[in-house]
Amino acid sequence: MTRSDSRYVGASVRSKEAPRHVTGRGRFVDDLVLPRMLHAFVLRSPYAHARIVSANAGRAAHATGVYGVITPDDVVRLTTPFKPGRYAAGLRVPVPEYATAVGKVRYVGEPVAMVAASSRPEAEDALELIDVEYEPLPAIVTTEAAAAPDATLIYDELGTNVAWQGHVSFGDVDAAFARADRVVSANLGIHRYSSTPLEPFACLVDPTPERLTLYCNCQNPEVVYEAITEALGIDGVRVAVPDVGGGFGQKIHLIRKYAVLTALMAVQTGRPVKWIEDRSEHMMAAGHSCDQEFDVEAAVRNDGEVLGLRIADTDDVGGSVSTLTIHFTNKLNNLFNTYRVQNLRLEGRSVLTNKCPVVPNRGIGKPGMCFIWERMMDAVAQELGLDPIAVRRRNLVTQDQFPYTTPNGNIIGSGDYQGLLDRALKNIGYEDIRAQQKTGNDRLIGIGVVIGLEPGGRNAARDMAIFPKSKQMPGAGGVEGATVKIEKNGSVVFTLGAPSCGQSHETTAAQIVADVLGIPPDRISASGGWDSSLSPWGVSCANSGNNFHLYDIGAVHGAAMRVREKVLTLAAHLLKVDRSALDLRDGIVGRVPSAAPNSSADGPATITFAELGKIAYANQALLPEGFEGGLEATYYHSHPHADPGMLPDETGRVRAQYTFGSAAHAALVEVDPGTGRVKVLRYVIVSDNGTMINPSVVDGQIYGSAAHGISVALGEGFVYGDDGQLLTLTLLDYGKSTTLETPRIEIEHHPVPDPYTTLGQKAAGEGAAIPSPAAIASAVENALSPFGARVRRLPLTPERVWNLMHVSR
Amino acid sequence: MFPADFDYVVPRSVDEAVAMLVHYGDDAKVLAGGQSLIPMMKLRIASPRVLIDVNGIAELAGLRRDGDRLVLGALCRHADVAASPLVREHLPLMHDAAQLTADVQVRNRGTVAGSLAHADPAGDWPAALLALDTHVTVAGPDGTRTVPLAAFLVDAYTTQLGANELITQVAVGIPPGRTGGAYAKFERRAGDFAVASAGVQVTLDEAGRCAAVAISCGAVAPSPFRARAAEAMLAGQALSEDLLAQAEHAVRDEASPFADTRGSVEYKRHLAGVLVRRACVAALARARGERVDTLHL
Repeated sequence: MTRSDSRYVGASVRSKEAPRHVTGRGRFVDDLVLPRMLHAFVLRSPYAHARIVSANAGRAAHATGVYGVITPDDVVRLTTPFKPGRYAAGLRVPVPEYATAVGKVRYVGEPVAMVAASSRPEAEDALELIDVEYEPLPAIVTTEAAAAPDATLIYDELGTNVAWQGHVSFGDVDAAFARADRVVSANLGIHRYSSTPLEPFACLVDPTPERLTLYCNCQNPEVVYEAITEALGIDGVRVAVPDVGGGFGQKIHLIRKYAVLTALMAVQTGRPVKWIEDRSEHMMAAGHSCDQEFDVEAAVRNDGEVLGLRIADTDDVGGSVSTLTIHFTNKLNNLFNTYRVQNLRLEGRSVLTNKCPVVPNRGIGKPGMCFIWERMMDAVAQELGLDPIAVRRRNLVTQDQFPYTTPNGNIIGSGDYQGLLDRALKNIGYEDIRAQQKTGNDRLIGIGVVIGLEPGGRNAARDMAIFPKSKQMPGAGGVEGATVKIEKNGSVVFTLGAPSCGQSHETTAAQIVADVLGIPPDRISASGGWDSSLSPWGVSCANSGNNFHLYDIGAVHGAAMRVREKVLTLAAHLLKVDRSALDLRDGIVGRVPSAAPNSSADGPATITFAELGKIAYANQALLPEGFEGGLEATYYHSHPHADPGMLPDETGRVRAQYTFGSAAHAALVEVDPGTGRVKVLRYVIVSDNGTMINPSVVDGQIYGSAAHGISVALGEGFVYGDDGQLLTLTLLDYGKSTTLETPRIEIEHHPVPDPYTTLGQKAAGEGAAIPSPAAIASAVENALSPFGARVRRLPLTPERVWNLMHVSR
Repeated sequence: MFPADFDYVVPRSVDEAVAMLVHYGDDAKVLAGGQSLIPMMKLRIASPRVLIDVNGIAELAGLRRDGDRLVLGALCRHADVAASPLVREHLPLMHDAAQLTADVQVRNRGTVAGSLAHADPAGDWPAALLALDTHVTVAGPDGTRTVPLAAFLVDAYTTQLGANELITQVAVGIPPGRTGGAYAKFERRAGDFAVASAGVQVTLDEAGRCAAVAISCGAVAPSPFRARAAEAMLAGQALSEDLLAQAEHAVRDEASPFADTRGSVEYKRHLAGVLVRRACVAALARARGERVDTLHL
């Protein structure tokens, strides 16, 4: 298949997943029922910070229906601690971390014990009978308090709550500031939030004599696979991932604690054990995005050129060391956003507090990096009295620079940043709105236009740029497999190397296979959920890192091409024609009309996949000599351009990700002067996701991630009390926008194919969550210009906006 | 998120329900709409040993006009109020409140009487109905008694309702002509509890001046209250912009909110004033016969 020869790639074909989900026939972990299955419940810390004086099963062990209780002592005795991952590489001394709290609790909701009973209500009743005695310690809820010299230590062994400090620097930053006309500075902040997937964590462990099977709704199966293997010291582990109700980064890291606890309970009781997390448990302990504070200085020339940036980034990482630098290192992915600026220094501090540990979240680190750039572009424009769009244009990477290598080593294959801005300005009517604003009226209407990157295709060796002494190289580059098979009856199945969390991977992959094999997508299906024993998985096996478009698409395309080769070889033999004379259409192999006439004129002109299947699997006598039976192929894909920059050089330059989509966002907002409420009147996106395989799937990803980013900007988020209690335990209190607050998202596609990917595709997932907080901030600041207010922090709750008017006045 | 064990009993009449309440005492809770009770049980904030489900008592259902009163049975749902042409025509304040309460699912199950019995300081019905002539009738072992809503509401989550009693009906006086009401609510997002809310009922005299006014404030004090100082400012006056601005300021001082995740003391005081003023403007327009849609702020 060539790029022009596509019937299904590029079409919004009907979703393969939607029918089962809209009719309630999806199969999620909680839908699975096994014989003799127990139901587990987790006892969690009521304190933000406390010593565990004692913890024992107490009366719970003898309560009605109870089969097992696991306490911290059991966890220490029966499991080994987790190996520190690459996000803990910055630790000065190793800190063992177990599936439960041991010795201390460090955040409200930290797991302390587990009980399993024959029913879930019985398990929940028994929870109250477990004896845990705590000695409360002062709760530390701000990074200032945590970093104070006399602060109570959250981890005694570290000797400080500032668990990591480091920096990256590219170009000559000091020289840039020395030749600047002026320096523009701002203190910026982004708060804690989550993507709140509809389905919280879920684990079901089946300890059969042969091996232990974990059914789990994890995004990155490798994490739980390794966790169970290492913690329990067993090799016979199988991980299966059925339908997953949303990931967004939530289901990568902390879920391993529960996988290990549930597995331990299953081993201890000798029965299948199911553990399903509650919404409130998920809110308090499944992971938050990071509170990030940035002190930023920009060295600028009077014409608006930005010469360099200095950023001091303080990350509030909560009460765990396992994801210490996760929001810092991910900033390498879009360190320069869409700008050709050459000099940048980013200093990081990861500060422990008594809050929920931090995890990836729809763009992790990258929304913060985009927020920094876009807020500074507006600040520079204000300081210099220039138009904010003009300042952006002055600094964008230009068309003639692609493929563009950023100062930190990312290679951006293609893009059209000026074109994205042009279209966004036109679509929202920028000039007219600006003109209306000048005529003056009482309404507080504001417009904000920003631009951002959507990096895709992770290279985990990225982190070695910051931790060059990491003894163990994290998975470098990207490798991922897929299997494609024509069944004996002529239908086609495929198996992807990574699980799906609801992003229509089955639909999209089927379109690729359909074009390669010449068979409609409705005769192609996914073989089932992800299974560690069956799925061909590599280092890129992750429903994260925006990996799918690059690795899984590349793999399924490669596997389909191999099957196509087998089909052509077998069909040419059976039809007694040269294979170059054959074509595949609608599941039938036949001579292309223009081809030379068949030498044996009385032979069949065509052969169907079903006929080929019967022969390939069941009739060796008809196979060509040396033909491997069956019509199946597995292919492992790696990015063809992955090698240069795969490992960091001595200056820390590395390709953090391999593809770079981009988008311009334009927001039109109105502020209610009485209440401070921000209403989004219009929201326009112009997006470059490269070649689109299924535009309606791409739109769906953009709608979802934009809606989330806008909600984050306008108020959703976690709030802690001074005592470290989480005050936002329900979706109501957490304050996610509903459909009534979410504006209609107007999308225009401006695809510029990527030169390095299979079909020119770029990532299309979390992208719109990256620039949208910055777009809303920019628009609200513009609306508040009569007050001279500066928007520096999110979320822009009505009260914060009211304060911005009130304080400025 | 599973409630502790409980028993479930289903009375067929008010008398039988009262007998059950007497029998089980403090261990029992009445289940009507269950929109506050069931979540509290699932969170184990409440763990009643017995639920007395009154949903089968036919005489408690629906709403009707009884002379110059609107009578809501104890099982009258928020959705019943929202859908009632009678309410829309004569008590637009209640129509607003029903529209703005929670979400569709809650409105279909939750009851007005249940909302009053729960007495959440940020609940819509206690605040809204306080601006109207509202009486609550309760049944107990000694028969029934009727009390004005202002007396029924004692404090946050506290009412006059005894452990042996249940609400049987809520009656609201239908105001005479040249009158209009409105309920304004500021919520962080659709379906949330109020950050602040206000109910205003204005009656005009022949000259178009304010003959009588009732102003209630919700969510900005331990219990909803009547803004008497602001009412006194407006009564008997032509409602000018200046006067409404003064009333807005007066309401700020009358409010005594506490800070929480929905807002600071200062912001809630400010909002109370803004909402009273906006509800006044809407109520006034309605009193003049203009059509004004429910305010979505």
